[in-house]
Amino acid sequence: MTAFKKIEDHLRKEAKNLLEGGKVTLVLAYARGFDEKHPVPCVVKAAADADHLVFNEYCTYNMARYLTRYPVGTKIAVAVKGADSRAVVQLIQEGKVRRDDLVILGIPATGMKNQKTGEVIDAKTTASTINPVLYDVLLGDEIHGVKAGSPYDVLAEFEGMDKDARWAFWKKEFERCIRCYACRKACPMCYCDPCFMDASRPRWADKSPTDDGTLMYHLTRFYHLAGRCIDCGECSRACPVDIPLHLFHKKVAKECEAMFGQAAGMNIEDKPAMANFKGEDSDQMLG
Amino acid sequence: MSFEPKILGIACNWCTYTGADLAGTTRLKYPQNLRLIRVMCSSRINPSFIIRGFQLGADGVLVGGCHPGDCHYGTGNLYARRKLAITRKILEFAGMEPGRFRVEWISASEGNKFAEVVGEFTNQVRTLGPQTKFKITKDGQ
Repeated sequence: MTAFKKIEDHLRKEAKNLLEGGKVTLVLAYARGFDEKHPVPCVVKAAADADHLVFNEYCTYNMARYLTRYPVGTKIAVAVKGADSRAVVQLIQEGKVRRDDLVILGIPATGMKNQKTGEVIDAKTTASTINPVLYDVLLGDEIHGVKAGSPYDVLAEFEGMDKDARWAFWKKEFERCIRCYACRKACPMCYCDPCFMDASRPRWADKSPTDDGTLMYHLTRFYHLAGRCIDCGECSRACPVDIPLHLFHKKVAKECEAMFGQAAGMNIEDKPAMANFKGEDSDQMLG
Repeated sequence: MSFEPKILGIACNWCTYTGADLAGTTRLKYPQNLRLIRVMCSSRINPSFIIRGFQLGADGVLVGGCHPGDCHYGTGNLYARRKLAITRKILEFAGMEPGRFRVEWISASEGNKFAEVVGEFTNQVRTLGPQTKFKITKDGQ
């Protein structure tokens, strides 16, 4: 736990320096919630408030989610863990934020815990990226020697299923959906305004939580995140009825990586996979 | 009565739709199960069209576009290929039979190929039987 404490001290010091020096106008990080097991996302705008920042194993939120809420040109410092830094890279690739506007405070983190269940988050859910892929300041030390495991191993069980059994599985999961859109709110890549679900011309799907509208919502969202999902797992953790959305996102990410040869948010020079094509693409991918 | 599938066809204006036209003018026979929708380019196809098609009762969806490299707009079908490939994977992982969705590149001069593909695909979907997974069953929809 001392590693988390060290990161927390460094985070406060860095946030204070950045705000005092006027390098950034706000810092996106975590603060204490109603107890230390329930931290909340926090926006700090004054150096005096930097002491409220915390970091512990329950800080699972993806702070990259809040970047697109501010106008382009706002100078922002953002605290990111491994997967979150991939979200920042992906947002830069998509031109939603500018690299120059950001001070990225990278946090190498392992052994994060789910706030609801207290379970350690491992590669089975989402912790395939331990060290941030892009950062200006590294809080704590890079972690080496921890085997994260392939993020896609957990899929084997579902890929092996008969298609009818798989449909039965997803139907049962989606039936519980109450269409609160928490998955959309938690997702750093869901920044469309308006979202296709909120559009009424055309009306893509039922607004009330009917089975067909829910199916349309989720399948379209999986498609919209193709080649963009950075495997942070916030959708599943945000879900009040525990639909394992990250499984489907993992599957789509796996196929994208296999077909298009790039994982989302790993390299700032890449173009988003679905807004690009390559000479070596072949018709085999349709087969 | 034997089962006759409903096939939704989405065809690009410049190649596949013109190919269908050619199949018609040369009086080739192909099954009448196909309902063809014309779009200006295969990259105009939103994957939600395909999902919506299945929801509204299509038993199979056939997408047609220009051959890669032949797109009227230069590169439209190259983007479309990536989009449709991932759509296919999503449908499969959701539990839809892969045989119900097909993408074919058919040029304006390939009237024969158009008729063949439609015939083949219709037979394939007929053997799969009615599509019930995505179909909306409640009243008034």
